[in-house]
Amino acid sequence: MATADGGAYSYSLTVFSPSGKLVQIEHALAAVSSGTTSLGIKASNGIVIATEKKTSSILIDDTMIDKVSVICPNIGIVYSGMGPDFRVLVAKARKSAQAYWKIYGEYPPTKVLVQEIATIMQQATQSGGVRPYGVSLLVAGWDITRGPSLYQVDPSGSFWAWKASAIGKNMVNAKTFLEKRYNDDISLEDAIHTALLTLKEGFEGHMTEKTIEIGVITVPSDADLAAGKIEGTGRVKPTFRKLTEEEVRDYLAM
Amino acid sequence: MSIMEYNGGSVIAMVGKDCVAIASDLRLGNQALGISSNFQKIFQMTDRIFLGLPGLATDVTTLKETFRYRVNMYTIKEERELEPETFAHMVSSALYERRFGPYFIEPVMCGLQKTHTGEYKPFIAATDLIGCLNFAKDFVVAGTASTKLYGVAEGLWEPDLEPEDLFETCAQTLLNAVDRDAYSGWGAEVYVLTKDKVIRRTLKGRMD
Amino acid sequence: MPDGSFAHPQQRQFNPYTDNGGTILAIAGADFTVIAGDTRQSEGYSIQTRYAPKVFRLTDRAVLAVNGFAADGNMFVKKVKQRLEWYRHAHAKDMPLRAIARLIQTMLYAQRFFPYYVYNILGGIEEDGSGAVYSFDPVGSYEREACRAAGAAQSLVQPFLDNQIYFKNQKAAPGTSHPTHLPLSDVLSIVIDSFTSATERHIEVGDGLEIYVVVARGRSPQGIEGIRGVQELSAQPNGDRTFILRRELKKD
Repeated sequence: MATADGGAYSYSLTVFSPSGKLVQIEHALAAVSSGTTSLGIKASNGIVIATEKKTSSILIDDTMIDKVSVICPNIGIVYSGMGPDFRVLVAKARKSAQAYWKIYGEYPPTKVLVQEIATIMQQATQSGGVRPYGVSLLVAGWDITRGPSLYQVDPSGSFWAWKASAIGKNMVNAKTFLEKRYNDDISLEDAIHTALLTLKEGFEGHMTEKTIEIGVITVPSDADLAAGKIEGTGRVKPTFRKLTEEEVRDYLAM
Repeated sequence: MSIMEYNGGSVIAMVGKDCVAIASDLRLGNQALGISSNFQKIFQMTDRIFLGLPGLATDVTTLKETFRYRVNMYTIKEERELEPETFAHMVSSALYERRFGPYFIEPVMCGLQKTHTGEYKPFIAATDLIGCLNFAKDFVVAGTASTKLYGVAEGLWEPDLEPEDLFETCAQTLLNAVDRDAYSGWGAEVYVLTKDKVIRRTLKGRMD
Repeated sequence: MPDGSFAHPQQRQFNPYTDNGGTILAIAGADFTVIAGDTRQSEGYSIQTRYAPKVFRLTDRAVLAVNGFAADGNMFVKKVKQRLEWYRHAHAKDMPLRAIARLIQTMLYAQRFFPYYVYNILGGIEEDGSGAVYSFDPVGSYEREACRAAGAAQSLVQPFLDNQIYFKNQKAAPGTSHPTHLPLSDVLSIVIDSFTSATERHIEVGDGLEIYVVVARGRSPQGIEGIRGVQELSAQPNGDRTFILRRELKKD
């Protein structure tokens, strides 16, 4: 019975082991831990999320790899773990955000979207015929009620709010690094640099605008909020955006 | 026969200076026959949102419960207070969900919307029975006396009315409009909402 | 069919009536009367003309407003005027207002089974010098009132008038009472407000406004001559005096 693969409790159906563990979830976390490192830092005037993107061959066209995704104008996410699983979650999260918009005429607050994603991930630990998602997520968002917030969601469906966090291969070192570097009144610009320095720790290969991705939340100014919806489109100004390769290159050069 | 005329009833909402008012008649009828003179059509959804539901009485009751449920679920789930504008969208989408078998209700709502600076801005809106939103800046009306309400409101309303003047304008508009409508009347009630209090008054009107 | 066989029965119908929209209104004062109407004439969603008068001066002391089917209205006014001229020839004086009212009833009821599709409001000065408004339905039912609105925006205007003229739903301050008649300036503001309101909310109302004011003989015209664009229509200034006041209304 006792085998290297986890034994009788490790098959497609997620079943409790006598010790109270769900080994399928532990396996999913193992998949996350072998994924590339991602991190997020909350600053006083925004949030940065960043990740390294590694390609297995120089022949791969890395322009089409997206590891930081926009969910809706005020929320973006990054992952560590399995790419395909992430894309499924992105599609579901985007649908959920649009469904919310259809009902309330506004995009969901970060917490509500995180709850939705967490529910989807939890369901994969309890439904028949499926396996848990092999990803951990860092969700960065801004909303009028809670301002900027950064969440981590795990394959089990549990989630926490962070001031700064890291996931993936180098998460232990990265977190230690962040703990040393973090303070409550760090500016977004400083946070971006800290993010790059953190990624640099244990980065394999050369860090360029091609091998990292950055997304930022910018807290809207009072003037932005007073302006409200943009004339004509009826939309609010987006608070989340991905940095372009040029911008990333500039940050790396500084 | 119009479905609106089956039970009758009318509602109006108006914007004032840092305040809003909503008023309705109290009649419940069965076509020409009066049944009740104490049928409420205005409901308080949150501390800062009021909803008026003129139309088919059975749908008044159903929608009152539906929106109570939805508002409660929202506040629990999101751990924040529902804003009037968000509520208007909620009403609109709930009604459009029944696009091809609608509730026979023309909702009117009013409230105080929190701005990003923490102040409160008067808000009114109305929809048709399938949820087409109308965000008017002055007043909104609905029900069997709607044409009369439009006429009187257009003549009496003016911008930046103080709460007591808004109450008087709203009350006079409703009373005089429903007196010319056989399907509305039999008493009335008015709510005036300001940032620190809600005034509710029952009005005596013609009982014929 | 051409061969003499029977085809399916067919029914054809001609509807001789149409509604040309617009609104009219009259308010009686103590010794004057105001009779007004907009000048838009429409059929369905089309505006036929922006200037088609609906208010007509019948005598020195009578003004008639007609609303509904414009062809019937115009023909009806023509016939009323003809009857009034015959009366002048026979009696060497103008027909009194209450008599004109009764005449209109008779003329309308004569067409009981093919009615003039018209709502009439007659305004003017009675023989006792008081302002009077008579309103009619298309078949001649009539009553004397202090104010009346008719036509497309009747439902918008009438409750407003109930409130502002009859002081309905209003309580006078303790020890005071509501006036039975309003001064001319108040009446004119109410009339203009009524039409601007109706224009705002009703597609069939707008373009222009014609307000006739009839003031009883020997009574003060209450400063009407000073109002912008007022024109006096009466021949002798020592009899009953008629004024006309024109205002633009929104054309959208």
